[in-house]
Amino acid sequence: MKRSYVIKRIVYAVFIFFVVLTLNFFIPRIGVQDPAERYYPPQGGMSTIEYEIIKQFTREQYGFDVSTFQQYVRYLQGLLRLDLGTSLRSGSPKVTTLIAQRLPWTLVLSVSTLVISLVIGLLCGTLAAWKRGRWQDTLLLNASTISVALPSFFIALMLSFYLGFRLELFPAYTNPNMVAQFDWGWGAIRMVFTNAALPIMSMSLGGIIGYSQITRNSVIAVTNEDYVITARAKGLPQATVLYKHVLRNALLPLATSIGMNIGGLIGGAIIIEQVFNWQGMGTLFLEANSTKDYPLMMGIMLFLSAFAILANLVTELLYVILDPRVTVGDKR
Amino acid sequence: MSRPNVLLQVAQRGGSLVSFVRKLWQHPQGRLGLILAGWLVLVAILAPILAPYDPYDVTQRAAKGLRPSWQHPLGTTTTTGQDIFSMLIYGSRVSLMIGIGTGVALAFLGALMGVMAGYLGGFVDNLIMRVVDVMLVIPTLPLIIVLTSLLGRSYFVIVLVFVIFGWTGLARVIRSLVLVLKNSNYVKAAELAGASRWYIMTKHILPGTSHLIIMNTALTSAGIMVAEAGLSFLGLGDPTAISWGKMLAEAQGGGALLFGAWWWIIAPGIGIFLSVFSFMRIGIVIEEVFNPRMKASSSIYKLFKHLNNTYLDEVFRSMEEEETLVREPPDRSNAPTPEGCHG
Repeated sequence: MKRSYVIKRIVYAVFIFFVVLTLNFFIPRIGVQDPAERYYPPQGGMSTIEYEIIKQFTREQYGFDVSTFQQYVRYLQGLLRLDLGTSLRSGSPKVTTLIAQRLPWTLVLSVSTLVISLVIGLLCGTLAAWKRGRWQDTLLLNASTISVALPSFFIALMLSFYLGFRLELFPAYTNPNMVAQFDWGWGAIRMVFTNAALPIMSMSLGGIIGYSQITRNSVIAVTNEDYVITARAKGLPQATVLYKHVLRNALLPLATSIGMNIGGLIGGAIIIEQVFNWQGMGTLFLEANSTKDYPLMMGIMLFLSAFAILANLVTELLYVILDPRVTVGDKR
Repeated sequence: MSRPNVLLQVAQRGGSLVSFVRKLWQHPQGRLGLILAGWLVLVAILAPILAPYDPYDVTQRAAKGLRPSWQHPLGTTTTTGQDIFSMLIYGSRVSLMIGIGTGVALAFLGALMGVMAGYLGGFVDNLIMRVVDVMLVIPTLPLIIVLTSLLGRSYFVIVLVFVIFGWTGLARVIRSLVLVLKNSNYVKAAELAGASRWYIMTKHILPGTSHLIIMNTALTSAGIMVAEAGLSFLGLGDPTAISWGKMLAEAQGGGALLFGAWWWIIAPGIGIFLSVFSFMRIGIVIEEVFNPRMKASSSIYKLFKHLNNTYLDEVFRSMEEEETLVREPPDRSNAPTPEGCHG
């Protein structure tokens, strides 16, 4: 029963990935039929024959010299070798190389954001649930109402203004030498974290409040369960009830929501990275967009979708392990 | 206690648009939302009268980077000397137009897809739900950026892209409701009387889902306003228009942070905040009025889930669970499969 469920989920995830991959291949071809004319418009002082040769050369270089179907097959073959194609940048770097260069920098932001918002969110949420209806709870509710309506980049700008320019606590923009000078030394690591402070803060705010709300609601829901009432009636200490009975069960919805969010973590930082000029995946994507570097853009998209599919799959499977009550069936 | 079908009850509470507005008005939070939204709409319509200067006038070389004064309540930009207060007023037009326009278009598409998936079932249902699954894993913002760069950066394209990739949440929710409505007696009666499927879908099932559609329109409008601001902030909005997101980007680029011109950043931020806040309030209150099982205190949590396209699903799932304790609906095979996959 369980194994068939796992296999079914994996097959379905592979199917979804295949659809996404196909879309990924065809979407850029809506606009670009022949890259030759797009990237090398005819220049003065060039004969028609010369121009034709250049066009043919460009087509071969970008793999447009064969039919669309053959290109698709080639694309699939490349993917089997984990090759996402070649960027149109000068030097023709591989898309995977570019992603590998930028990914760690985005992970610095997103992993710290996830950890910070989880820890603080859990604490605040449990507190609000424990003090239900008192000022702590009301404060959380009001903070949520306000923070949902405030875009994260606006918060980022305000933080950059007050903490960066006014109080000069943290650098308001990322140090452009940070990536180049990184050498795993103590000073370099410190520099990364002072530079990352403001982006992480502006990204965590929404996460903290989101996770607090989820924790609060699930803690309250669990507190009303019979087994918690029994535990209290037995005379167990409050702390034991909270840790052993309430929190353990209340964490399930939180685990699901983390799984959902991890998928979006890598791509979610585009705007914040742009505000602080942080050299991560988001800025890489925007650079690709401004130079119309479609192989690079689609490579990043595919990477992000694959990551999201994987995160979803892992969440689904983990959920079955974490919560034995979840019945694993086809119908319900 | 014989428990009537909760969803049917909720569905039958729906009514005309006027009764919606009246119910909203009676709720203090809803009244706040309505007043704010109405005020913003008025500002947007009357923008040419209200704005003291022409916000598109970029030739005021002598009046660059002024601080707030009686002539220029929010000062002028450092780059081109545009009046920030006038820009703020004109910015409401873009935000509201994109937000409401996309919200309404999404409501149509989402309702159509949801009703079709739920009522027709079978192949159509499968197809639509697989498309929904695919859409859920594609990173939305990067995709929107790719498509706007391929198709052009006009607002028409932006709305189109938002609509194509935003209908999935509503469709899932509507589908869950339709699956229940489908088995109600009045739909059965209509089927026996020989009504066509299209007639039943539009005359009997769609009205039952109206409250959900209206609520969803308000909430998605709010979400789209934030998304549009983000897109404009990245410089990917319509280059000819003045929008709040673009104002923020200009403020950052024009050195507002450096010169300490905090009003230049705060003003568009408050604009975005007020518009999003008012529509959110309206959406949440509609939800509370028509579905009293949802407690006011947790509505924000639901909003977070709504932004993830998941929360109503969960609500219906929990309702269905309660309902199955009493009566097993005849058609279980089409029931939404929970499995915790997207919740």
